[in-house]
Amino acid sequence: MLTVAGTGGLRIAALNEAAEALGLAVGEPLADARAKAGFVQVRDADPAADDAALRRLALWATRYTPTASPWGEDNGADGFFLDIEGAAHLFGGEEALLADLASRLTKNFGLPARLAVADTAGAAWALSRFHKHKAPSFILPSGQEAAALAPLPTAALRLQPETRATLRRLGFKTVGALLDKPRAPFAARFTAELLRRIDQALGRIDEPLVPIVAPPVYHALRYLPEPIFTHEAIIAHASRLMHSLTHVLTRDDVGARSLRLCLYNVDGAVEAIDIGLTLPTRSVDHVARLIALKLETLVASYDARFGFEAVGLAVTCAEPMPAQQTEFPSSPPSDPSCACEAGSEWGDGDRTERRAALIDALRQRLGPASVRRFEAVASHWPERAEVLSPIDGAAAAPSFDQQVLDQQALDQQTVQPRPLLILPHAEPAEEVLALIPDGPPRRFSWRGTTYEITGAQGPERIGAEWWRPHLSAHSRASGHPDDFAPGPRFRGDERQQTRDYYLVEDSAGQRFWLYREGLYGRETTQARWFVHGLFA
Amino acid sequence: MGFPHMTEPNALRMAHSRAAVMEELRRLMPRLEGRRKPLPLGLAAIDSHLPGGGLACGALHEVMPAAEGAIAAAFGFIAAILVRIHSPLPWREGLGVGVERRSSNVNVLTPQTAPLLLVMPPYGLRPYRAHGRLHGHGLRTLGLDPARLILVETAHRKETLWAMEEAVRSQAPAAVAGVIDQLDLKLSQRLHLAAVDAGLPLFLLRPAPPSLPSPASGGGWGSAAATRWRVGTEKAACDRFGLIAQPRWHLHLERCRNGRPGQWLVEYDHVAHRFSLAAALADPAGARGAGEASIRQAG
Repeated sequence: MLTVAGTGGLRIAALNEAAEALGLAVGEPLADARAKAGFVQVRDADPAADDAALRRLALWATRYTPTASPWGEDNGADGFFLDIEGAAHLFGGEEALLADLASRLTKNFGLPARLAVADTAGAAWALSRFHKHKAPSFILPSGQEAAALAPLPTAALRLQPETRATLRRLGFKTVGALLDKPRAPFAARFTAELLRRIDQALGRIDEPLVPIVAPPVYHALRYLPEPIFTHEAIIAHASRLMHSLTHVLTRDDVGARSLRLCLYNVDGAVEAIDIGLTLPTRSVDHVARLIALKLETLVASYDARFGFEAVGLAVTCAEPMPAQQTEFPSSPPSDPSCACEAGSEWGDGDRTERRAALIDALRQRLGPASVRRFEAVASHWPERAEVLSPIDGAAAAPSFDQQVLDQQALDQQTVQPRPLLILPHAEPAEEVLALIPDGPPRRFSWRGTTYEITGAQGPERIGAEWWRPHLSAHSRASGHPDDFAPGPRFRGDERQQTRDYYLVEDSAGQRFWLYREGLYGRETTQARWFVHGLFA
Repeated sequence: MGFPHMTEPNALRMAHSRAAVMEELRRLMPRLEGRRKPLPLGLAAIDSHLPGGGLACGALHEVMPAAEGAIAAAFGFIAAILVRIHSPLPWREGLGVGVERRSSNVNVLTPQTAPLLLVMPPYGLRPYRAHGRLHGHGLRTLGLDPARLILVETAHRKETLWAMEEAVRSQAPAAVAGVIDQLDLKLSQRLHLAAVDAGLPLFLLRPAPPSLPSPASGGGWGSAAATRWRVGTEKAACDRFGLIAQPRWHLHLERCRNGRPGQWLVEYDHVAHRFSLAAALADPAGARGAGEASIRQAG
């Protein structure tokens, strides 16, 4: 017996058949149950773990159909639901599918399952719970929902306990009793839930089902007679699946932008491998190679255990793709001798594809965030002047946007030197010796080394972006960070000060980018110096 | 009876095989010719030391800073060479200098412009302390369009090596540059072979050897690289306004396959993308002297 904390102490959340036989019921206080039954075994219910288990189960069930949705509170019921429309014939009919499902649930998970097939999700749920047949599974012929539901108790409509209690008080015991009555009084006296559940069960309104994984655009699945363990086998099967998908993709003039490879373990676990592509592709070799790369990196974490009994490959995102190109040029490493010839045969279009293939491979192996490019930002503040953004999409858009650069060039009139290497956080320079407080330094020490400065160029004065709150100072209290909040512009020490940047050169020829924080005399009396970059 | 009968087919066969040989040669010749021309640095004093008058395109090149502080200069030298690399498309090579000059103009950016790939661990060179990261605007200061650069960050050396080889073999980028802390002979051979196969230049920024009692010994620093450059900082010349006109580097070509080592003091013009000898050593006698000195040293 499982309990949860409810009103007035612990209450029963679930119980087994033996407890049911003693007359206990879900929702009863634990104290009453103890008084009735004498000795009961009690465990705390763990709804989170139940949820996770149900999700795992639903994920496993995607081997039957890609749209498997676990049910929770929103649906007013538990269990999970498979949309087997169009999938049943793959197993030789609905009966065969149900038999297979039931045997696998028992064998893999040790779960006695109650299964039902019906035209509507509501009817299927009701029948799986309340049908009186001996067999664990039940198939309702199309169009007979009303007749089949009529003898079932009102609980079969997935109603709230309060609604159920009210119905019971009014003398409605079966669904059939409700179906006969005019609807208006029910609509007036009950929440919308009652009529909605009836309509859903009878198929008068649609019931949206949220699948556990986004339903793929294209899907290919292969059941294996023998479990497979090795990378090579997985890749071989995935290639075959991709090959079968290629025809569909070609027919629709699309290519895959993202793929998901699902490996169904014999013991019910599911390994999912996501593959993102820079360009839409239909190339079997390319996809197989990306899968191989991913498997290599996963080798430590994934566990074939008893082997995989089914392999599914789904196209989760497809994009239009010109029909002519179907294959990436075979990669040179297999035949290095013809590398030069291949190089001369490839045109400009292939270059874009080679670039995309390379980026795909790098992203797959090193992680999506590790392949990046520079992107200019319209800001004078050096820390904010550029971002590194992950490369996505095929278009080699000029990341250093000419417009941004033009604007900066206009603002600066001349292009000021910028260091080749920039420190992410400016580091304080110590023991700075400057002849005049607002002049360039003559000597400074940084990271324990003292540099004698022989030449300096500057200053380049960069004012703080007062219209932008300081990173640490912009508390969300003042609303949107872009709002012009009335009141003090800066807060205490956190205000950003004007910087005077100097390009300085030491006696050995090393060139640094130094800045002095604060305008001497106006913003500060004690100049602080920072090293911010290194020039080539 | 059979003898004279046989001569004719023999001769035929010979002629046939000769034709086949010629055919084979004809088939092979474009491949030899198709090899990319070396990449000149545009400075006769240096190019004359390099085989074929420039940096070999399908080869591994090593660049190391002369001291820890020179790491930015070493990066700058690589960036300066990358600027000079154009798209390796064969048709572009076939055209004249004018086209080359146009394509070297970084403002003309076509989507077909081959990207340059830079592979580096997130913190730069391992034995040194973090020297910050590359700055896109700084690259632009040197004349390299950051839009052409694809930055690949790797977690460890194995990934760096893999990514570099993958990039070179894919032939997608115009050049690959990488930062690596350690490299043994075998790995460098592997990278070099990959570069040779693909016909792409591969630049490797390595830390300077800790301290070498004699530069010639170089124990454990064996490498299959075609060239090894050691880049040091040098005081830059100022223009008449007292502004630092051009970065000035001390280039030391330590080893060069089929070429001669040498030392030069060069300035890099980021507008024209050109190296020039710095004024102090501009006289050929001085440059030659430096080169000979280093030959003696190495020999």
